[in-house]
Amino acid sequence: MSYQRRACSQRSNANSIQPGSKGKNRTTMIYVIALAIAVIGLSYAAVPLYRVFCQASGFGGTTSRVIDPEKIAEMEAVPERPLTIRFNADTGATMRWNFRPKQKEIQLIPGETALAFYAAKNPTDEPIIGISTYNVIPFEAGLYFNKVQCFCFEEQRLNPHEEVDMPVFFYIDPEIMNDPALARIDTITLSYTFFESKDFDQSHLPTS
Amino acid sequence: MNYSSRRFSPTPPDKGSFPLDHDGECKTFMKTYMQCLEKSNYEQSDCRKEAKEYLQCRMDRQLMAKEDFKNLGFKDETKNQT
Repeated sequence: MSYQRRACSQRSNANSIQPGSKGKNRTTMIYVIALAIAVIGLSYAAVPLYRVFCQASGFGGTTSRVIDPEKIAEMEAVPERPLTIRFNADTGATMRWNFRPKQKEIQLIPGETALAFYAAKNPTDEPIIGISTYNVIPFEAGLYFNKVQCFCFEEQRLNPHEEVDMPVFFYIDPEIMNDPALARIDTITLSYTFFESKDFDQSHLPTS
Repeated sequence: MNYSSRRFSPTPPDKGSFPLDHDGECKTFMKTYMQCLEKSNYEQSDCRKEAKEYLQCRMDRQLMAKEDFKNLGFKDETKNQT
């Protein structure tokens, strides 16, 4: 008898607790699931959003990808800031081309487009495909080093004993005048490295 | 380990890659430009004309997309190449 009463009272207690807490539990669960979905969605969205932010603000050395065709036509040369551009050429360990700059250095001023040449020769008896990447020193100057056209990032094939001239057409952005970190820089080095295409590490390519 | 947060990131060229001049069609223009550079102590502003002629050679032989020289930074003469 007492057992039954206890069971009844227990059941009624249980009944009185359940509807309220069940509702609360469900609401909480919905909130948590929604939050989880929001966080996961945000972390996926962060990748392109961050990229847009970087390109807009130049954060972390990313250069602007907005290619304004008018920019070159409108930019003003800065004669009071003569710069020396040095040219360096390297080859990957297994690359058999002879690769060298045709000029050690060039004197120029920001805002003026300049032409420079490299020469590459394939001294072997078989065709070799090369691909190049480049580096600018000091790193901070890379922000202002704009290549209009060059021979980099695409595969280039040289037949046996073939030699070619490889031009680089570039300019230093006049904005360099507004960068205090580069105020005392008067020499910028452009360094190209050629790899044999099969050995090329894709991480050298620009992220687009 | 380089602790600098600023890392160099290579960027693609504005107008893409120059096709290789396999047949050396513009070699003479290149040579003229290089001779000019040597004569003027590698002062590139003295050799704008030769640089322009080299690029013109490339355009004439489909080794470069035709472009108004104004958009390539040659302000003195605005020859329309289109």
